[in-house]
Amino acid sequence: MRMTRLPPEIRPVLESGTPAVMVTCSADGKPNTTVISQVYYVDETHAALSFQFFSKTIRNVRENPRAYVCVFDIRGQAQWVLQLEFQRSETEGPIFDAMDMQIEAIASMTGMSGIFKLRAADVYRVLSVERLPFSSR
Amino acid sequence: MIPGKILRFLEQHANVAFAGSRDRDLVPRGHKVCGWRVAADQRTMTAFVAEEFTAGLVESLQDNGELAVTVEEFPSHETYQFKGRYLSDRPVRHDDVEIVDRIRKRFVRSLRTIYAGVPEDILGAFVSNPSLAVEFEVLEVYLQTPGPGAGTRLIPPVES
Repeated sequence: MRMTRLPPEIRPVLESGTPAVMVTCSADGKPNTTVISQVYYVDETHAALSFQFFSKTIRNVRENPRAYVCVFDIRGQAQWVLQLEFQRSETEGPIFDAMDMQIEAIASMTGMSGIFKLRAADVYRVLSVERLPFSSR
Repeated sequence: MIPGKILRFLEQHANVAFAGSRDRDLVPRGHKVCGWRVAADQRTMTAFVAEEFTAGLVESLQDNGELAVTVEEFPSHETYQFKGRYLSDRPVRHDDVEIVDRIRKRFVRSLRTIYAGVPEDILGAFVSNPSLAVEFEVLEVYLQTPGPGAGTRLIPPVES
């Protein structure tokens, strides 16, 4: 079922540090797919993604604000699909500080210390969210 | 042409993949990929798309042809993105499912240390059942392993 608000059951999945995948599209119509290390729950209608490098993803969402994110929940045997729209970038404040702390923890757990570094917290509006069970269950 | 080093990565090490497409309004959409095959010419690749992620894919590909597939080895995070143009699609065959089964085993092996105590069938279920095979011509290959070199175009090489 497609929803327009992040349901409570997605929070532990987002907070588990499980990698997610993001798809964006440039203004000239080229899709770009990348693995992201963190999707941060801001509130029921907003999520924040980490901006770590000046990547194609960062350029794309500034040209075309639509984004697609898929978060995997292996224990729950499903994936969460989020349609998002880029709103703003924050380089300080409570969202940035919380993401910075979380990203350091993820980096140390995954052997990526010194590589993951938060430049900004990019805040997105949630347009839709849907839970898709794994088809192989 | 996909270089031999990356071909070996795809055939022997990579265990996770995801594709991106877009519709005529430039709205991006993602599709979990459960397996892949590179043709003998090393210019075309076939991605096996999970059955729960096929909605709208063929329509978008027939409309604009744009496809990007990112393939990763977890947990080393070695990652490449293949961008190209749609050629064809078909239902998956028995030999495609055999490739997916091999990748599922590889994926489960890679997760054992991280998800100690979680049954292997739960871990293996992450690699969904494929239902659609999408063949595309690889036009560009990018390095996406996390780090300062991420995003570097490998094929065709960037002229300095």
